[in-house]
Formats: sequence, structure tokens, C-alpha cells
Amino acid sequence: MSISSERNVGDILIIDLTREKVVKREVSPETVKRYLGGRGFNSKALFDMIPGRIDPLSPENVLALGNGTFAGTALPMTSRLHISTLSPLSGILGDGNAGGEFSAMLKFAGYEQIIVTGRAQKPKYVFIEDDEVEIRDAEDLWGLTTGETVDWLRDEHGDEVSVAGIGPAGENLVRFATTMVDKYHSGARGSGAVWGSKNLKAIAVIGTKGVEPADPERFYEMAKEDIDYFNRNEFVKRIYSVIGTHYGLIQWYPSWKYFQVPLSAEELPIGLRPQDLAEYEVGRTQCFSCPLACKDVYYLPSTGEYGTASEFESIYALGSNNCVTDTEAILRMEHMADEYGMDVMTLGDTIALARLLHEKGILSREELGGVSLEWGDAEGQIELIEMTAYRRGFGNKLAEGYRNFAKLYGEEALAYCYDVKGVNRGWYEVDFINGIFTLSHATSTRGADHLRGRSWAYWENDKLMDIEAVRRMLEADLPDYRKDPVGALIYGERACTLADSLGRCKGSINSWLQAVPLVWKYPVFKGTAMLLTAFTGMEFTEKDIIDATDRIYLTEMAFNVKQGIKKKHYDVKFPPEFTATERAKAQVRRHWELVDEYLRRRGCDVETAYPARETLEELGIGYVADEIEGKEFPEWDGPVREVA
Amino acid sequence: MFVLAVIYENCTGCHLCELACSFKHHGVFDLSLSRITILTKPEVQTSVQVYCLQCQDAACERVCPVDAISRDKNGAYIINYDRCIGCRECAYACPFGAISFEVEARPIKCDLCEGEPECATVCPHDAIVYMEEKKAVRELKKAKAAGVAYGLYGGKETSEYPRKKAEEAVEYLLELVEKSGELDV
Repeated sequence: MSISSERNVGDILIIDLTREKVVKREVSPETVKRYLGGRGFNSKALFDMIPGRIDPLSPENVLALGNGTFAGTALPMTSRLHISTLSPLSGILGDGNAGGEFSAMLKFAGYEQIIVTGRAQKPKYVFIEDDEVEIRDAEDLWGLTTGETVDWLRDEHGDEVSVAGIGPAGENLVRFATTMVDKYHSGARGSGAVWGSKNLKAIAVIGTKGVEPADPERFYEMAKEDIDYFNRNEFVKRIYSVIGTHYGLIQWYPSWKYFQVPLSAEELPIGLRPQDLAEYEVGRTQCFSCPLACKDVYYLPSTGEYGTASEFESIYALGSNNCVTDTEAILRMEHMADEYGMDVMTLGDTIALARLLHEKGILSREELGGVSLEWGDAEGQIELIEMTAYRRGFGNKLAEGYRNFAKLYGEEALAYCYDVKGVNRGWYEVDFINGIFTLSHATSTRGADHLRGRSWAYWENDKLMDIEAVRRMLEADLPDYRKDPVGALIYGERACTLADSLGRCKGSINSWLQAVPLVWKYPVFKGTAMLLTAFTGMEFTEKDIIDATDRIYLTEMAFNVKQGIKKKHYDVKFPPEFTATERAKAQVRRHWELVDEYLRRRGCDVETAYPARETLEELGIGYVADEIEGKEFPEWDGPVREVA
Repeated sequence: MFVLAVIYENCTGCHLCELACSFKHHGVFDLSLSRITILTKPEVQTSVQVYCLQCQDAACERVCPVDAISRDKNGAYIINYDRCIGCRECAYACPFGAISFEVEARPIKCDLCEGEPECATVCPHDAIVYMEEKKAVRELKKAKAAGVAYGLYGGKETSEYPRKKAEEAVEYLLELVEKSGELDV
């Protein structure tokens, strides 16, 4: 079975909205070997297609949707869709990862990736049914919420259809609008606004083909072993499948009042405990091919609506960080964010920042135009969310998103902005877990982020799930991990790059045991190498996988270099009150030591943070060096705007 | 006699059974080649499972004009493809829509995998069971009874059942956290 056959790795679909043209391109086996799929394909496409600093909302921006190598197979948890673009929120690489059924459907239709370029004259949607691809009018769809959009498309094309698209927030170019899949699955970092800027409302897909591994028996045997592992795991059965990411409320110290207090399990207010949220639960669900059921389905008595996946992030960002403890109000806000198509984390953090700036007197009462920014005001927050989605009044400012929002109020406001490269993630002291925590935010190629390697670097969540497996893994691959935070982080980053490229879920509690297939049985990337060999018919070694993930990561770093990212942007942010202390200064020194070591071990120039030619050539991507070496790019300061 | 039964209250709609079924019979992951079909509406948490119930008095067997359908030792109705003429009568007659025509106009239906149904072995939530008939009926009754009891507590508005389960999960989690303090990695 050849790699580019329709039953294995599909074609790339290139949709030019300006010319309303669709082109299909085959994927070479070489490309699969070097970039795996999903995030790997996307990051390469963005680097190759976006020349330099452009307005992310201009037609020149590229929207890439990649479904991951193993999509549509019985290898569990492999139905993640990776959505990449130049982010209108940060102005650097912005990618998000969403579940649902879209990725499997796209694979069944025979495609590996969709690349959207240009801008349509009028609202459009794309309908794909196997080999047929049509660009259709979407004027009746424009203005609909994500739920209404999916229902409309299901009425038109049948219940089998899976949909990726945007709600009003994307249409209104809210800078943290998301790509929503099948109503409830969200991919963050502003890709929704890029759909909006291209006048593209949705892509609906029906796929009826099959996926046939090169060595079917071998592949299925391993996939089944993996299913069986999760089906038998006590932790999965008794915690994961019951409370999903609400696990984090007990374990991850959700922050209170704009990152001022990390809440322990004992301090968790009534209303925000997993059992309080369960009161609204009417069932559980998951993405395609996942045995876990990490998502709750909830019912809101006050509005009669159903929603899905009230995850940890929405509860901390919309709830505790804003001092809101009214359970149903938080669920309602989460559901509104899904319906309008906005990222809950940037939404919640931006509102919390606004509350703080208001408290500090940096944001005046007049500025607000009658909106309440009292801590804990749930009703006011519901109003703010709607105003943000439609860019009304003060909502027009919030819609700029975190750092861009703070910039509107000058240096004084920016001092309270705890971002890396324009993306929000709160602040942490450098010594918290060997400096990995802050380092990982600094080195993430899409701005501060917990899903680029952080949680994996110190086995945050695996310990409770399967301690024996963790011990084996560490002994085999990282015997010195305690003394080597940088090495541990690079391993974590590789694991996440791999998961995003294979289409594998990084796990609702961010664990190795889920993100990397068969890691509970074999050394870190051996199981994946065996699976890739059986699936593609090409020989994959563990080194091939490490090289592929490094190739992807360095391509992403080089993409950001072209957007003006310098070494100084690998910094760590503290609240102004803390910055001046000796303790903070010592921590900053430690942070830069770690950054230097990281850059050295990643094969980058320690002075400029550019990936070095030698490293790129070793990975067989010297052409990336040609584009950045010896070149100066204007310094990054958020997204470029064509019109000031 | 063993029967294949779906406890629909347990099904979350992950489609793993369909992938396993199509693979077992055709060596390919292809939803249209699965003998079991899961129709999902995740937003209202309902899945409908379409599969062959191996009826005592099977319409498919009765209508087949060439006697191509017969029962094997496991109680599964099996299609003899040497006889089958591809007329689709069996599919039209089946009251459950459990027979489809996909490959070269040949009908496909559940054959209970010679007594080891693949769908049941992969199902993560014990929604598909293959067990002795009396036991299966009892499991189904228990699931219905739990559903009824849950409804009596007020159903959607005040769901005691998920709350209780969440409380147990948190309790177990805290136990693990305490223990993990002693676990050195």
C-alpha cells in the first residue's frame, strides 16, 4: 500500500478564496517522514507561504487545518484537528487544537490538510463530500452562532456532516475568536478572526472512504492494546471519565482574583468544586475514537440550553480568576463563548485584567461607559461577554485581547500584563518546579502556553495515573531528569509536537501516558515508531521521530523570527510589586541562564535566538536558514495592523 | 445462549466499536463497513445504536428468496454468499436497519464474530455486552432501573447521580494525592 494512496495518507486541499479555486496536491512519502502530519504539516506550510510580517487579518494570511497522521483509525484519541495561522492575537505563530469528529471525517474524505488563502468577496462556506469540493454562498449563515451554523449545515447536508467554523466573534474579528468544531470543540489563539477576515464561515465535510494501514494486523494489534490500557486503568475509570478536567480544580491551583492567589483544594469555594459542577451534568461525551469521556454534557435550567465541556480552563478563567463563584453563571458564560466562538482563557483573563486596571485606577469609570467591573459580578460579566463578541462599547476594547487591550492604556497597564509573546498565562515564580514552568512559557512557539511541553516536563499528572509506567519511562530515557530541567523540557516539547502532529490528544489532564501512544509499554518514542512503521509502510526509528519533532519546532521558531521575535521576547513577567525585589531579580537571572542553556541545546544562536544554520542543515532544512540567516526583521510588538 | 446487547445508557458515542468492527471484517477503518452503527447527537447525550438483534423469528431469513441466510451455532444469522443474489430483500425487511449493502452489492450484517464480538471487546464503557441471555436481560433491567431512579430524583434539574459520582471521584483523587506524596519518581 503506497503512502499517498487514498486509504492511507490523503491529499492536501488548497482553497484560494480570492479566485474561488480549489487545488488538490498529493503528499509525498518524504514529507510524511519529515513532518509527520497535523501541526508538522501546518507549521511548514505557514513558514513556506507567509513571507514576513503581514497583517494577520489581511488576505495574505494562511489558515491551515491538519488532521494528524492517525486520524480515523482505531488508535484511540487520534481525532484532534490542528488549526494554524499567523495569530491576530499575538502576531506570531498561532495554532490551536480541537477535537470533535472533523479530523476523522476529513481523513475519511481523503484529505490530510486544508490550506485556505485569500479573501472571498462575500460570505462563503466550503462543502466537502469525498472528492467533491464546493465553495458555496454563506450569506444565510453569516451572523449565526456556532450551534446554529452546525444545525443549518446538518439540515442542508445531512446529520453525518462534521463542521469547523466560526460564530459572531470570528465574523467581528475578535482577536481571540476560535475555530469551533461540531459546536463545542475549540481551537484557540485567534484563528476564528482569520476565518472572519477571509469571509469564510465554515467548512462542512462528509467522508465515506476507509483508512487502511500498510500492515493492518500489526497496527490494529497495537491500537487495541492501547484501547485496552485505558479501558483497564483505574484512574481513568474512576476519575478521568467521571470528572474530566475538573480534576484540575483539585490539583492545579486555579487562580483567584487575577492571579493573586492560587487556590488549593481546601480553599476551593463552594460553587467551583467538581461536585458542584456535576449538579448540572446530564451525561458525558468525548471526541471521535476516544475511550475516555472527559467532557461533561450540562443542562442550564435558566435558559434551557445544553452545553459541553465545561473544562478547568473555563472555570478558572471565567470563574475564580474573576472571583465569580456562581456555578450556573460560569457554565452559561462558557456556553456563550462556545456559541460566539471565543477562547475562554483569553476572554476570562482579559476581563480579569480589566477589573484589576479598574481597581488600580488605570482604567477610568468614564472609559467603561456604565459597565460594572466589580470583582465577582457574574451578571455584568455575562453582559461583557456579549459586548465583546459583537465589539459593542467597552467590549470593542476587550475584543482586542489581553496584551493588545493593555496596550490601549499605556505602560502602566502593560506592567500588569503577564504574557509571553502576546499570549496570556498568568505569572509564576521562576523556581517553581526547577524553573521549568516559566521557561516553558518563554520557549513555547505560540506564546505562553501549558500545552507546548510544560506539564510533560515534570510529570505533573502521570504520577497518579500509572507510577510504574512513569518510572520505566524515566529510567529508559531521562535518568538525570532531576538535575536537568532543560533536557526535561525539550523532551516535553517533543512529546507535544509529536501528539499535535499525529492528531493524538495530549490528554484532558496533560499526561505522557495519553499524549504519546504506547509510552506505558515502550521507551518514549518507540511505540510511536512501531505504529508509524505499521501504518505507513515506511521504516520509522525513534531518531526519525525526534528529528521530525525538532524539525517542526525549529521551523516554528524560524517563523517567529520572521515575525520579529528576538531573544528579549523569551522573558518572564512578574507583577510590578514583585519585580523590584531582590528575590525577583535573582529569579530573572536564573531564568536567563536557563534560556541560554535551552537555546544552546536546541541548536540556536544564544545571542539572537535564531535557529543556527548548522542545526537546520543537520535536520535537512537548510532552506529555513537561507530565509533568516544574517537578516534583520523589525522587532515584534504585537500583531501588525494595516490600518492604524 | 449468549446475546449481544447494547446498554444504551452507557454509550457515549465514541465510535470505537465501528472502527473495530470494520477492521475485523474488512481490515480497514471505515464506518460504512461496520455492522454496528452509532448515530450520535452529543449535545443532548443520546446515541442510537443500530445493530442486528439476531431475532428469534428473523424477517431477513424468512424473506430471503434463495435461502442464503441461516443461523450458526452461536445464534448468529449468517449470509451464505455463494447463494446470495444481492436482491436487498433482507435489508428492506429488517425492522432495525441492521443490514447494509456496501461491497459489490453484497449484504453485510453482524455475525457475532464467531462468538467473540470485536465491538464488545473494545467498548470503553461496557455499553456493548456479550453475555448469557438471562444475565444480559438483568443488566439491561438494572440500567433502566438506574435511569428511572435518577429521573425520580428530579432528572436534569437536580442530578443527584452525577454529583454522587463526582464526590466519589474527588474522594479517590485526594486519596491518591496523599499516597503520591510517598511515591518517588
